[in-house]
Amino acid sequence: MTGTLLAQIEFNTGGVLLIWEDWLPQTLGSMLIGVTCGVLGCFVVLRRMALIGDALSHSILPGVVGALLLFGLVGANEKWLPLWLLGGAMVAGLLTAVIISIVHRHSRTKEDSAIGIAFTAMFAVGLIAISSLPRSTHFDLKCFVYGEPLAIAKPDLWLMGTICPLVLLTVGLMYQRLKLISFDPVGAQALGVPVQLVHYLLRGMLAATIVAGIKSTGVILVVAMVITPASAAYQLTNRLWVMLVLAGVIGGVSAGLGMSLAFTINAPTGPSMVVVVVILFILAVLFSPSHGWVFERLRKRKLAHHVAQEDVLKAVYRLGEQKLDTPHPVGEETGLSPKRIRRSVTRLVKEGLMRVTDGAVALTEAGQKHAQELVRAHRLWETYLVKEAGIDPAVVHDQAERLEHAHELAEQLDEKLGKPETDPHGSQIPRG
Amino acid sequence: MAEQASLRVETAVQAVRAEGVTIAYDARPVLRSVSFAVPRGGMVGVIGPNGAGKSTLLKCMLGLIKPDYGHVEILGQPAKESRREVAYVPQTEAVDWDFPVTVQDVVLMGRALAGLLGWPGKHDRERAQHALEQVGMTRYAKRHIRQLSGGQQRRVFLARALCQDAELLLLDEPFAGVDAASEHAIFTLIDDIRDLGKTVIVVNHDLSILDRFDQVLMLNQRVIVHGPPSEVVNDTNLSATYGGRLALLDEADETLRQRISRDDRHITRTDRI
Repeated sequence: MTGTLLAQIEFNTGGVLLIWEDWLPQTLGSMLIGVTCGVLGCFVVLRRMALIGDALSHSILPGVVGALLLFGLVGANEKWLPLWLLGGAMVAGLLTAVIISIVHRHSRTKEDSAIGIAFTAMFAVGLIAISSLPRSTHFDLKCFVYGEPLAIAKPDLWLMGTICPLVLLTVGLMYQRLKLISFDPVGAQALGVPVQLVHYLLRGMLAATIVAGIKSTGVILVVAMVITPASAAYQLTNRLWVMLVLAGVIGGVSAGLGMSLAFTINAPTGPSMVVVVVILFILAVLFSPSHGWVFERLRKRKLAHHVAQEDVLKAVYRLGEQKLDTPHPVGEETGLSPKRIRRSVTRLVKEGLMRVTDGAVALTEAGQKHAQELVRAHRLWETYLVKEAGIDPAVVHDQAERLEHAHELAEQLDEKLGKPETDPHGSQIPRG
Repeated sequence: MAEQASLRVETAVQAVRAEGVTIAYDARPVLRSVSFAVPRGGMVGVIGPNGAGKSTLLKCMLGLIKPDYGHVEILGQPAKESRREVAYVPQTEAVDWDFPVTVQDVVLMGRALAGLLGWPGKHDRERAQHALEQVGMTRYAKRHIRQLSGGQQRRVFLARALCQDAELLLLDEPFAGVDAASEHAIFTLIDDIRDLGKTVIVVNHDLSILDRFDQVLMLNQRVIVHGPPSEVVNDTNLSATYGGRLALLDEADETLRQRISRDDRHITRTDRI
């Protein structure tokens, strides 16, 4: 039983073995894997290689089994077993990549189908190969598929501690190349950059990281650690290097939190990590300041309020002092509900643009000025739309109604139009 | 004087010389024996319908595709060996506008050959800065590429091509989907680039601006006509370019294709880009 690396440990014994000395290195190892997967994942996500990640992780099985088989035959020193496994996995990963491109290029098979065919075939071959392993070698498929960090032993930690820093260092050095090739492969090739070479390097690094991390998450879930942190980071930034850093942090944090969660509630660790990372992803999708759903909503609402407010202001400017009992002409003029109008008035009063006396609203001096600016912007935009964009004067009103809220641009507009006196309808454009 | 100039062009090395370029995908010809030459400093518009092989021709000049027959020379060198001298502005659809890069990042990619791993140095940054100034995009340097208008996006890629210091610029449909004002601005830029002594080849869909090129190359799998716009742009040539392929040639292709799929596949081209 000694020749085994993927040791046989049931999930529910995890809680019993809760000792700090075990927990710390295992958690640190998993976090390192999380960081590396996150960083590499950025390129996987940006290059739309997600399916390749899945394929790579599955296709490693025959490589690992083959390496174990060969290892048993040669009878090498057990110290080197992790390196054997790594080598086997790399060969299998590369072989899958080659098979995919051959099938895709030389037959009428689309790339995603080619990927699906290749990795399931490799996995199947691996499963069959397991049964041919000598009896003395115990291979725990469950551990391979689902992961089992409690089985992480010293050699595994060494593997993680070597591969992860190496991969991170390579990504750092090759950052510019990876960026160029991910963004514009054709342009890169036209420049004479060895695109295929970098491509294989990326796949190789991915395969190595997956092998190193397989005990943490298992082949099925390792893809989540590659794709999800990077996708979460993608929501948060428009800079590639920031995305790499964020994805690394998210990957590391989810691995750490996942491990702690698993130990606390006695759950399998791989799934715990994935649940944490998915929660972080959902938070990013909802609350990203630039692309997030929540802030997008807030921004839209704020703009709607702003527009309603200015519409009410203009209506009162045009209609003069108004009593706000229903039905009143401000509603007719702006098309807003009485509730919306009341809310707008409250804000306008707060901003000092309106005052309410005896239930009647009127503009303050500042309000008058602001309304004048709006009218000016409206008429300037109408002039612009007719003169520069060649739109029929009869229909420009509605567009100008929307554009007038961008009244900051009025001066520029005025300059560009040569300070016109009147708008297309012959109305005077007030001078600011 | 003009005669002298043209004489010099004849004897000097051509910017591009294509001879008998033939390319087939799966025994379906895309380019048939295409031959033409572009003198240094020339500005050529390439027009033709969809599927006429315009993009394939560009990729040949970029050294990305090796012709099945014939060859392309750039400045007297095989296309593959003169990549440094060729800059490329891709079609808008070919670019991932959601990719997390800023305007400056994209322009700096034109300096990717600097150093072993493409880390830009001080000189490269200055060069990129200068290119941004040339296209009037300096104030947008820190913007994400998604936050630009169509015309601005095109100018960013022009800046990238400029900062490559290449002799030959290939532009793939730079006017597609931009408004008239941007089209004008981009053309002014292209004129400026030509004034620097560069050779410019533009794949183009807009027939109304052909007179702004020195030469027009009408392509529909083969070269229909190639010459100054005043001489070649006419209804006869345009309908020959756009009015469908020659029926007899199509039939010959079909026969050949059937024979190839029966006998051997070695003419079949499979490594697509």
